[in-house]
Amino acid sequence: MTALHVLTLTLVVVGAALAAWFRDLLASVIALAGASLLLSLEFYLLQAPDVAIAEAGIGAALTAAIYILAIRKTRPKEEE
Amino acid sequence: MSVVVRTVSRVVAPVALAFGAYVIMHGHLTPGGGFQGGAVVASVVALLVVAFGAERWRKWTHALLPLEDVGAMAFVILAFLGLGATFFRNVLAGSGGLFGAPVPRLGPNPGALNTAGTLPLMNWAVGLKVIAGLGAVVILLSLFGREDG
Amino acid sequence: MKRWLFAAALLVLAGYLLGGSAWLRPFGGPIRSEMDRYFIENAQAEVAANNVVTAIVFDYRGYDTLGEATVLFAAVVGVVLMLRKVKG
Repeated sequence: MTALHVLTLTLVVVGAALAAWFRDLLASVIALAGASLLLSLEFYLLQAPDVAIAEAGIGAALTAAIYILAIRKTRPKEEE
Repeated sequence: MSVVVRTVSRVVAPVALAFGAYVIMHGHLTPGGGFQGGAVVASVVALLVVAFGAERWRKWTHALLPLEDVGAMAFVILAFLGLGATFFRNVLAGSGGLFGAPVPRLGPNPGALNTAGTLPLMNWAVGLKVIAGLGAVVILLSLFGREDG
Repeated sequence: MKRWLFAAALLVLAGYLLGGSAWLRPFGGPIRSEMDRYFIENAQAEVAANNVVTAIVFDYRGYDTLGEATVLFAAVVGVVLMLRKVKG
């Protein structure tokens, strides 16, 4: 069980780091949504299904959709 | 968006809508509640906006924004119902009327829909509020920047 | 110079957080649990709801939910005011 927690949290950190590292903003948003989904899995493992549903709905779906809508109206690449 | 996205979202949207409705309606029995179910339904709205374009959802904002006020007012009115004792007092629980049945037995039980007093009504109010509010925000944000704005 | 400053700040922050997490209590072992116990034992009898979390959110701690609804309402009103169609 502890190994699963460690694996999930490590993947969350990896996803967040990827979101900060990518230059392509769309890839960055998708990495952020993946980190959010893994975070909701971690909430589920910690026996908090309420928070898991909220995190999956808000963090993974709605935030990603709003970011994608914003990226579509601006420049898709990060500037130096 | 491409035809793949449209076809997949035609399949996924009804399932996610049903799941969101289930989460809202069974909020007093199973994990979830008005906020979580509303977020799920609002993510369906975001999916439809991304897949089919925002233009055809523009007229929905005129219906969604008053619905949000209705949800907020219903929530506050339900809270005021208990003002005989205290604000947010659950007057309907255990009264025998609407949603007034006691739980089948204490401890783990299969659950009954007709329990928990004002909790299901508040779940519906908050769910309506979250669906309408977040849906209208997503539609308005996606319409932002058009010349006919 | 700036880069070294950032590295030092990162090291200090990481050390602080890791050191703090070394003192975390084991999962599911709070120091005081009288209130948790009260909610778990009495929520089904008092609120008649199987989902104790919803019983807390909408009944025992209703003011929290009222504040959350107010925050959401304020956010939606702000977005609508900013992005609405201006006539004329």
